[in-house]
Amino acid sequence: MIRITHLEKVYRTDEVETVALNKLTIEVKEGEFVAIMGPSGCGKSTLLNILGLLDDPDSGSFMFNGIEVAKFNERKRADLRKRNIGFVFQSFNLIDELTVFENVELPLIYTGVKAAERKKRVEAVLDKMQIMHRRNHYPQQLSGGQQQRVAVARAVVNNPKLILADEPTGNLDSSNGNEVMQLLTDLNEQGTTIIMVTHSEHDARYSHRIIRMLDGQTVLENIMV
Amino acid sequence: MAVAMLIGLWIFDELSFNRYHKNYDRIVKVMDHQGMHGQNNTNDVLPVPLGDALRASYGSDFKYITISRETEEHVIASGDKKFIQAGNYMQADAPEMLSLEMVYGTRAGLKDHSSILLSHSLAKKLFANADPLDKIVQIDATTNVKVTGVFKDLPDNSEFRTTTFIAPFNLFNANKDDWNNYNMSIFAQLNTNAAIDEVSAKIRNVLSDKTKGQEGTHELFLQPMSKWHLYSSFENHVAVTSEQIKFIWFYGIIGAFVLLLACINFMNLSTARSEKRALEIGVRKAVGSARSQLIKQFYTESLVIATFAFILSLCIVQFILPWFNGVADKEMTILWVNPWFWLAGITFTFTTGLLAGSYPALYLSSFHPVRILKGTFRAGRFTAVPRKVLVVVQFTVSIALIIGTIIVYRQIQYAKDRPVGYSQSGLITIQVKSPDFNQKYEALKAELFNTGVVANVARANYSITDTRGWNGGFNWEARPAIEGQSFNTISVTQEYGETVGWQVIQGRNFSKELTSDSAGIILNESAVKLAGLKDPVGQIVKWEPGWRKNSHLKIIGVVSDMVKGSPFKPAYPSVIFLGNGNWLFVRINTNTSIRSALSKIETGFKKTIPTVPFDYKFVDEEYGLKFAAEERIGKLAAFFAILAVFISCMGLFGLASYVAEQRKKEIGIRKVLGASVFSVWKQLSKDFIILVIISCFIAIPFTWYFLNGWLQKYEYRTEISWWIFATAGAGALVITLFTVSFQAIKAAIANPVKSLRTE
Repeated sequence: MIRITHLEKVYRTDEVETVALNKLTIEVKEGEFVAIMGPSGCGKSTLLNILGLLDDPDSGSFMFNGIEVAKFNERKRADLRKRNIGFVFQSFNLIDELTVFENVELPLIYTGVKAAERKKRVEAVLDKMQIMHRRNHYPQQLSGGQQQRVAVARAVVNNPKLILADEPTGNLDSSNGNEVMQLLTDLNEQGTTIIMVTHSEHDARYSHRIIRMLDGQTVLENIMV
Repeated sequence: MAVAMLIGLWIFDELSFNRYHKNYDRIVKVMDHQGMHGQNNTNDVLPVPLGDALRASYGSDFKYITISRETEEHVIASGDKKFIQAGNYMQADAPEMLSLEMVYGTRAGLKDHSSILLSHSLAKKLFANADPLDKIVQIDATTNVKVTGVFKDLPDNSEFRTTTFIAPFNLFNANKDDWNNYNMSIFAQLNTNAAIDEVSAKIRNVLSDKTKGQEGTHELFLQPMSKWHLYSSFENHVAVTSEQIKFIWFYGIIGAFVLLLACINFMNLSTARSEKRALEIGVRKAVGSARSQLIKQFYTESLVIATFAFILSLCIVQFILPWFNGVADKEMTILWVNPWFWLAGITFTFTTGLLAGSYPALYLSSFHPVRILKGTFRAGRFTAVPRKVLVVVQFTVSIALIIGTIIVYRQIQYAKDRPVGYSQSGLITIQVKSPDFNQKYEALKAELFNTGVVANVARANYSITDTRGWNGGFNWEARPAIEGQSFNTISVTQEYGETVGWQVIQGRNFSKELTSDSAGIILNESAVKLAGLKDPVGQIVKWEPGWRKNSHLKIIGVVSDMVKGSPFKPAYPSVIFLGNGNWLFVRINTNTSIRSALSKIETGFKKTIPTVPFDYKFVDEEYGLKFAAEERIGKLAAFFAILAVFISCMGLFGLASYVAEQRKKEIGIRKVLGASVFSVWKQLSKDFIILVIISCFIAIPFTWYFLNGWLQKYEYRTEISWWIFATAGAGALVITLFTVSFQAIKAAIANPVKSLRTE
């Protein structure tokens, strides 16, 4: 599903040049659950942003479903992104001014789904995440675990082929964290590809494969059994 | 701040009117509440003998009583230098009472019965730098007088600002015993022990006692000098709020408002930066800065900014004051040496600085350092509400001013487009104040025709743009005179109609061949209507004012209405007689250049009437002056409209950047979820558009009410059409979108990765 080869990304300020990704090559197959680990500054987040089509690489190739997307412009990237990729963030990134329902509805609005259809799909996904009873609450009225469930609901409401999770349990206690990991595992079992950045060895064990990074390169791959 | 300073100077100038005169506190004017034919008027024109009557009965209350003829134009000549100058005939105490500052001679100079006091600038015009004392000048080519004094020019904010000479009152040849002729002003200075109200009460019936046989009622009172300029509007004998006072209120409010808006904008822009500065504050607090130190820091910052603003505003005011003086018709200067000005300026700067700095100082310094440093600091959801209210207020004012400006200009244009009933271009007029004008007129005419550049020449007893004679008592054949129905009357020579180019609708013009025309009159359309005549030509009118020999007049023609008074009022109903007058009208040939024509006319004119300066006026320019007051309102309204729009935009820009900053994260999330740049821009702009639409809904009824009231002042007025409101509203929307889009697009194209990474 994803094949990146010799991917490079360099951040430049006036004085410093930081190599975030150094000729990185990775492949992720459809239906896989991959964890990416490594110390701070190793390039995990940069990789995730590029995989999420939020950022573009300086050089190298990025094939997504057999299409070269490395040179896509902003509009094309946005279009591809909103149809295929869901995001789960460490700090949930819910919009405080919108209710749970409205937050989850947002991606459907941007993909142009009709109102009646939206209602049906949002309700279905909220039901699945067991937060239907909170549909009219605002994010700040929810616990961290509930917020992350809303974020996961938002990520999957569009039925994306790929979910990118950036330390999804980082702001949660262990029981809420396990719950979220279970959700992701369930989604993966239903066929969604998941790439997750994490610091937690415990969380990484939910995945099929761990890619360890250092200084913008993969240093090790563990296949989980 | 510069605007507030300009308005402050203007109000100071208005309020300090007449303070130039040292006896300001004790100078009064005798005023008369008149009642006649059911009409109540209040004015200051009084009969000459009243002065002596007051002196005889109440002399002990007054230090000086001085009769004065109204300020009028006369020809003042010395050698070949001749100028038309405004001045007064006044009694001998006037210079002392008005505390004229003498450059040459003394204030007692006027006591000499054949003397004259000149203003410094007139003396320079006449005698250059030579000593003007004891020089002889001639008034209106008839009276020789000796210069006994020269006074410093009176300032622009004095009642007597146009006075360039003062001649002894006895030279005016007024009948000292005529109680029937109301043509003089009486000024006086109270004694130090006399209270104005008591003296006012004492003199109340002096005039009515002396004029028992006359029609009408009179009630005298004294008006102190402090009230002359701003409090001289009366309706039915009661003082009413004058236009000038309304203007002072209006501009005062605008000035305060502009300053307040600027302060709030300053606060706004600084708090909008609060999230950015929050980190700075957090670090400062973390390294041990006390809250009081932070407060001090913010206040110092805003005071420094306010001080710079004050200095900058002084420069700006100095720079635009000449323009503003032109618009406001004043001679204001920055009061560099007035300690009050500096005190006010510094107080003002300090207050502004404190006011503008207080919100950031008190609010920002209260941030909790740990929350800031952890990055969890967020301003509350409702912190934008006061800003939104502010934007609505600013836009309401802006839209109101835009609408106001459009309507004022439309009203001016409407009146300018009005047909005047005669042809103005190439028509010049000269007031010929010379005793031998009657004898020389035919010679002058011949001389002017000889130049070959003159199409026609005529005379009348009034200027065409300011025809003042009014008479009643016309007994029409169809029905007798109606009490209180008066007509504008004017005497003209036979060529007048052709010279000014009026349009004859019925009958004919006056004719040279028909001597019977001396008993003929011409009416204008309004007069025909007012008199209620059908088929007016040939009808006989009986009119017996006493001083006219032939009281049976025959209507020989009807002409179209001419606008001789205010262009905003209906045309005067006019009765036109055959006669003379000292206003000369010259129609220049259409195919000659104006410049060469003028020089030829001047040569001819000077040859025939050398005693009168060739002080011509173009009729179209004179007519244009009638719009001066309205054009001033229009210019000021435009100035304030532009300013208000500018300030509003700054406020809006502040709010937009604040909102964009605050919603950075939200925008980031939306973009990650697939929002396009356009949809983010729409999202951000929508809220502002709503605010502006609210402003429109507040501004439109308010301005409609206010301007409709203003237009009621004019009998000849434009209509307020819906498109004016639509234009102003659309304009405000465009400006809003333009201002907001900068921030909105900036926020929309920002890489969402960056805004989310700060979490």
